[in-house]
Amino acid sequence: MGYTLNFAVVWRNFDRLLEGLALSLGLAVVSILIGAAVGLAVAFALISKYRAASWPATAYVTLIRNLPILVLVLFAYFALPQMGVRLDKIESFVAVLAIYSGAYLAEVFRAGLLSIPKGLTEAGLAIGLTPMQIRTTIIAPLMLRNVLPSMSSTIISLFKDTSLAAAIAVPELTFQARKINVESFRVIETWIVASALYVATCALIAALMRRIERRLALPR
Amino acid sequence: MNTTIRTGGMLAASVFLLLSTSAYSEASKLDDVLARGHLVLGTGSTNAPWHFKSADDKLQGFDVDMGRIVAKALFGDPDKIEYVIQSSDARIPNITTDKVDMTCQFMTVTGERAQQVAFTVPYYREGVGLMMKGDSPYADYAALKAAGSSVTVSVLQNVYAEDMVHAALPEAAVDQYDSVDLIYQALESGRSDAVATDQSSLAWYMAQNPNRYKDAGYGWNPQTYACAVKRGDQDWLNFVNTALHEAMTGVEFDFYSKSFKTWFGKDLLPPEIGFPVEFK
Amino acid sequence: MNPSFLDQLWLARNVILSGLGLTVSISLLAILAGSVLGVVVGLSLTYGARPVRLVFRVYTDIIRGTPVLVLVLASYYVSSAVGVNLDPFSAGVLALAIFCSSHVGEIVRGGLQAIPKGQTEAAKAIGLTFGQTFAYVLWPQALRQFLPAWVNTAAEMVKASTLLSVIGVAELLLRTQEIISRNFMSLQFYFFAGALYFVVNYGIERFGKYVERKTAVPS
Repeated sequence: MGYTLNFAVVWRNFDRLLEGLALSLGLAVVSILIGAAVGLAVAFALISKYRAASWPATAYVTLIRNLPILVLVLFAYFALPQMGVRLDKIESFVAVLAIYSGAYLAEVFRAGLLSIPKGLTEAGLAIGLTPMQIRTTIIAPLMLRNVLPSMSSTIISLFKDTSLAAAIAVPELTFQARKINVESFRVIETWIVASALYVATCALIAALMRRIERRLALPR
Repeated sequence: MNTTIRTGGMLAASVFLLLSTSAYSEASKLDDVLARGHLVLGTGSTNAPWHFKSADDKLQGFDVDMGRIVAKALFGDPDKIEYVIQSSDARIPNITTDKVDMTCQFMTVTGERAQQVAFTVPYYREGVGLMMKGDSPYADYAALKAAGSSVTVSVLQNVYAEDMVHAALPEAAVDQYDSVDLIYQALESGRSDAVATDQSSLAWYMAQNPNRYKDAGYGWNPQTYACAVKRGDQDWLNFVNTALHEAMTGVEFDFYSKSFKTWFGKDLLPPEIGFPVEFK
Repeated sequence: MNPSFLDQLWLARNVILSGLGLTVSISLLAILAGSVLGVVVGLSLTYGARPVRLVFRVYTDIIRGTPVLVLVLASYYVSSAVGVNLDPFSAGVLALAIFCSSHVGEIVRGGLQAIPKGQTEAAKAIGLTFGQTFAYVLWPQALRQFLPAWVNTAAEMVKASTLLSVIGVAELLLRTQEIISRNFMSLQFYFFAGALYFVVNYGIERFGKYVERKTAVPS
């Protein structure tokens, strides 16, 4: 008697997996949007000539990128309340993923900013724009277009990081899959289906990003 | 053993087809284990008092002792064991793919699981209890129940976890975690008001942290723990059953009761002499 | 930190060190094997014939979209299904190496494709064969370009090695969990482990920066 695949349990609970996926996506979208705003600000700080701005930004990016995200998730949920900051499960996870995305996207944006010729800033100054106006209206849009390809893989891995929310009982996709595993022990079947959902979602994200890339591409 | 794969074709389907020895043509695992000279036991390493590491990095606990009983029955030496450390998720796949001879890892017997592996005779009957912080505003189970939906209970993840808690506290909010230390952490950091988990684990935890926690004084949800082996090898299952059975009622009772005392802190009465207890 | 944490830490020092050692060796092996394999994947993606490109495109897209945990479980159980009984350590390293190769493959492809076509044409014009063009013109430039991304991937591998705990490889995370299950000091030991991971990854990052400086085009 060999091991035969039996997906019945998984299909019976398929709606739970879909609910989990929806929550995963929601967590990712909110966190990445906040993270993108943070990342943009940090990226400008990273390339700033003022040490007071570049140093803390570098410290933030280095620290966050080298820590396992699980440690941050546990810290925000279990240790912060003991210091008087009390966020609920979802808030604390979104905060962590936003901070995490911020650090990764800051690096992506920094590389994009460096590739923008200095002449543009000078041209902007020449026509009387303030440095802030130059950043928001000229540099940031151009940079965003340039970094779209590398942003897409960052976004995909951030989406997959939502699986860590399972550790603090947020009922996203991984949590639901584990829940099904625990009772049915159809571990292999459940993970096949769950990862197919992850792969499909990642493929959709990648396709969406490519589409945006094409839309925004400069006519050649 | 590879016939299924060859005839079935090695294409896409083979990716997750996990094969096993056929029960008809080959000798029992009992003979394999005896010839090998040691038992391969699957268990975990992160749940006291069932299976965990001592300060000097030795695997110990009640589950581990059950394996040692079987090794002693096989070789006259309880130490002839090779441990395969596995997470709870890996318990059944490791049996069906022959990574282990048997698994003893606080496995609750259920009908669905019994379709995939063969369970041995039970070696423990577990129940769920509630634990609160010593300074909890709730005095006992009745107070928790009266507080209704303002109470949050942290539990180990399980499909039935929510129903299990609601059977005792119908309105409580339920937070599920995937490791035991996190459900305690939730209680400790005020994320939950009570922990609902195995009474044996609670007793162990309270003994390790005297005066910091209290038992709510309510138990429910009986479940049976048994070891598991691969289906289709009656000879091997029979041997393991015999070894465990004699540890609970026969010549190895001292081994079992000493282990019981170590991990659960309770003395067992020796089995009554005369008519066998199991037929009463 | 209270003194009893330090006591517990001292008591567990050998266990933690052995976990750290295993984490480092798993990561190193996976990064090495994954990079070699990844270069092959990247070259096939860039220069392969159409069907070859298609096969490798499907490979990288599926592997990159799959959670590493699933790859780890699959490699452990599939290996035994096809009759190769890999121990947990080898199965885990294999899964990580495959994951690493898909990322390195993408990075190599990106690096090679970013080089303006004009260079290949120029090389052809001065009579270099494709092999020579690749070795002397394209590869050195691509190498410089993908170093930062490669360092990122290496750091990811270290973090992903924690998932081997699921199949019972006694790496740093499983070792930490074993200690926690004995003394229940979850936060303290998780943070300590976090700090160790930080040190390893920071070391990789510094090493990457060092290589970047060494290979930089003098300007």
